[in-house]
Amino acid sequence: MAATRRLQKELGDLLSEDSALKKSFRDIIVDESNILLWRGLIVPHMPPYNKGAFKIEISFPAEYPFKPPKVIFKTKIYHPNIDEKGQVCLPIINPENWKPATKTDQVVNSLLALINDPEPEHPLRGDLAEEYTKDRKKFLRNAEEFTKKFSEKRPAD
Amino acid sequence: MSSPNSSGSLDGHQSASELTVTSEIEICGTEARESSKSPEMSKRVAAKERILQYYSQLTEGCGNESCTNENCASSSSFRFKDIDRNKLAVEAITLSKAKAELCERRPSKVSRLPQDEGEQESGPSGSPGLAPSTSSSSSSTSLKSSPSSIAVSVPATGGTIGQGAKAKVPSPTSSCKLDITSNSSSKDKEPEYLTEERLNMVIDECEAKGSWSKLIHLIGLVFNNPESILLSFHVKKNLTSDCDTDIDLAQKASSDVPMDCTEPGSKDRQKLSSTGRTSSCVSGPVVDNECGSSTSVIRSTNVDHGDIVYPLDLASLRRAYNRLSEIPDQPFQGALIHALLTLAPTVERDIQYRALERDPNYILIFVIILEIPMLHWPEYLESAFPSICRAVERLPVPFQAKLARIWAGFGAERLKDMVQSLQQLITVKIINNEGNWSASFRPGDIPAIVGATKVLKILYYASMLGGKMDSIELVEEEKRLSEADSLHEHMQGAFGFEIKDSTLPKEDPLGQELGIQVINCQEPLVPWEDFVNEPLNDNLDIGDDYTNYRHEMESKFSLESKFSFVPYFFILTTASKHTSMYYDNRIRMLHERRAAFVQTLLHGGPPNPFLRVRVRRDHIVDDALVNLEMIAMEYPGDFRKQLFVEFEGEQGLDEGGVSKEFFQLIVEELFNPDIGMFTYNEQSHHCWFNSLSFENDAQFTLIGILLGLAIYNSCILDIHFPMVVYRKLMGKKGVFKDLHDVDPTLKKSLQEMLDYDSEDFQDVFEQTFRIGYKDVFGNNLTYDLKEGGDNINVTQENKTEFVNLYADYLLNKSIEQQFRAFKRGFLMVTSESPLRQLFRPEEIEMLVCGSKVFDFRALEKATTYDGGFTEGSQAIRLETV
Repeated sequence: MAATRRLQKELGDLLSEDSALKKSFRDIIVDESNILLWRGLIVPHMPPYNKGAFKIEISFPAEYPFKPPKVIFKTKIYHPNIDEKGQVCLPIINPENWKPATKTDQVVNSLLALINDPEPEHPLRGDLAEEYTKDRKKFLRNAEEFTKKFSEKRPAD
Repeated sequence: MSSPNSSGSLDGHQSASELTVTSEIEICGTEARESSKSPEMSKRVAAKERILQYYSQLTEGCGNESCTNENCASSSSFRFKDIDRNKLAVEAITLSKAKAELCERRPSKVSRLPQDEGEQESGPSGSPGLAPSTSSSSSSTSLKSSPSSIAVSVPATGGTIGQGAKAKVPSPTSSCKLDITSNSSSKDKEPEYLTEERLNMVIDECEAKGSWSKLIHLIGLVFNNPESILLSFHVKKNLTSDCDTDIDLAQKASSDVPMDCTEPGSKDRQKLSSTGRTSSCVSGPVVDNECGSSTSVIRSTNVDHGDIVYPLDLASLRRAYNRLSEIPDQPFQGALIHALLTLAPTVERDIQYRALERDPNYILIFVIILEIPMLHWPEYLESAFPSICRAVERLPVPFQAKLARIWAGFGAERLKDMVQSLQQLITVKIINNEGNWSASFRPGDIPAIVGATKVLKILYYASMLGGKMDSIELVEEEKRLSEADSLHEHMQGAFGFEIKDSTLPKEDPLGQELGIQVINCQEPLVPWEDFVNEPLNDNLDIGDDYTNYRHEMESKFSLESKFSFVPYFFILTTASKHTSMYYDNRIRMLHERRAAFVQTLLHGGPPNPFLRVRVRRDHIVDDALVNLEMIAMEYPGDFRKQLFVEFEGEQGLDEGGVSKEFFQLIVEELFNPDIGMFTYNEQSHHCWFNSLSFENDAQFTLIGILLGLAIYNSCILDIHFPMVVYRKLMGKKGVFKDLHDVDPTLKKSLQEMLDYDSEDFQDVFEQTFRIGYKDVFGNNLTYDLKEGGDNINVTQENKTEFVNLYADYLLNKSIEQQFRAFKRGFLMVTSESPLRQLFRPEEIEMLVCGSKVFDFRALEKATTYDGGFTEGSQAIRLETV
């Protein structure tokens, strides 16, 4: 695998004890046979999503790092920038903005930032974006309920 | 050689205005079908006069600031601000047709006469500054001895020149010196010459006196004599060793630097031309270079002959011309025009008597003359400029090449100006004759247009020479590849026919001499479009023009062959060229049809004048494949017959419509990503060859054939190939630059990597020479760009190599097999057509896909509404939103 070396290194960095993302991006599982597909658990620390955790999948193209990875949510989430299929609109991995020097931890970081601080200006779900801007309280209530109902269990520590 | 005979009659006896008129009459006489009688002629002259007045009003204005005429440049409500002169010339003619308002012109060019003629008479003998050259040689052609004489006359004035462009007051010593030398030399035989300081001096003097007679005389004397021109504006030989002002014409990398740019402080390498001039290099006192001494030597590097340095001081020449062009009312204009008119035939004769071969600097005459900034003024357009063009036209090809090399170093700005001047000449000539065209009188019959076109061609090559060209290694490699390709084809026996047609356009002799081809030029100095002359194209009968071309090709030695624009394709629009090719194709089709008829007569059997393709709708690809493959194997010449498509079980005569449907259906099918022949890039919306396609080569050949047939039969296809496909079809190789419309993200990322300059490059990228890619089924595969690529790291040092190899893999190597088949199909149809010679890859794309720019406004305007709908109907408005 061509991108193996770089991906191995990035993976190693993320799994290491001193990774800054140790708490919020964990349980990373990578299949031996396919290093181009990563699974992991996002654990947000801000309300309303801090009541649960979310499974995501990062898939890297064969041409990585010359083409950007894709991020998919496997767990349902009540968020203006993430649609029902789990697709995320993340500027940093948009093909037009992609820089080959961008590392995966930066991608995860910006994903976390997006979850904690939605951008209703570029929504994937218009209805949620509207609710978010017009009636924040209602949005937070709904999001929390939704999270409790559908999200994964948060790890113990 | 000739003494300034003609200007003798000028000596102040004739006013400038009279001269303009006479020269106009001369032109009327020279222009081919001008058998008209005098009243008609004077009418023409009057009309031209009026057009000139409008033109000068448009370009310069009447001089009255409070002018309210919107067609006057002086007016604040001027309609044509920021419009180039070429368009203004057209506008002038429209205005004169419409008899628009003409302002009272205050400082009229025509009315102003040189004031005292008596003084002029004394000019040639007595006045300082009009001194004949101090050259001691009497033989005019022995220029080799002249530099030394210049070196003598110049030192005193060298300081003046060092002070900058417009040294208005020359040092008294210099004028004194000139005065003395003038008296001591023989007067009649020595040619006059000009230098910047001398011209400045004369102008200053004339200004002081209020009489321009001296300047008029000087210009008249110098510009009608080739030797005088050659002696003028020489580089000062005493400038040495501290200032690098040589501009190396071959260094195209820095071609943006204009000629007169100086690099103070660097080394001066005053090289001398290779021919016997070495002795004349005098190391005199060093002139202060630091204060911006601006002399520049033209040097042209010739692959075969080494460096050639021309002793022309271009910067000084330009300053001098600038000064001249700034003189109000141009009192010397008549003299200059007349001088140029006398000069042109003399030069033509000199060329015939091999003056160019005798004196390597003779070519400079053309450089000097074509630098005259006034050439595109209407007064010159009439006769002086065309006659100069004609003289240039007489240059043998090797010397045209020399000229192109010199011009290539002039930089984009100057070349653009020159191109524009020539275009203006052509446009004006075209517009003047609008409505007069007939079968025996075409734009190609006007010598001025032909001359200008030929000069344009030299500029066209200069623009490429000075622009960005592909590296020699790349061109060589492409040559090797194409040879290997054709060898491959021969082995496969695909080319069962040899090229029998002698009418294939040959490589342009000038291009051959210079060793460049249009296809190898990445970016010319002057954009391609600037060479296209729209008015000419509008007035050109392409059919006729193409006939002339064929005529010329077939009877090479016939004297009566007419001028054709086809070899000068740069001036033609894509549409004109397409029409040209259409005629070419039709002639070939007719040819094939006739051959088929004869064959029928001789051998019996059914006549088959068409390329018949019979297909079933639901098996369109298979049927077409079988049909076309049979033809390809048996007789590929049939591809040049007119296409005739039949759908099985359907009535219908193919008059173009059926083939169109056939093309549409089959292209849709073949390009369907599900078939897997092509991949589709979401971002660029382009198709690319699938390197892992399961289809055999025949399918790709079929697409190539279809592409060729579509061009051949003037059909437009819904195909979206990136530009590199067309470039590759023309024999180029895909390079990194081409990646942008194949895979924009990849191209951008690789560029980012190239631009990444930090130390931690390896840490960040961790990239080896092994790359990954995905096949259509989503399997991840790898490829080593180099042997053992997995173990070679990409570093700052070799990242360029990596990128180039990556691009080479994607654009060439990975699809080599598919593309070769595709190209073979394409060439089966088009190998004999002038496609490759006439068109650039961008234009081929246009032929295949049509224009990608849609003018919806035009559609809206042209729409007529029917059946109860009007322009305002809701349904219609929704459509146009």
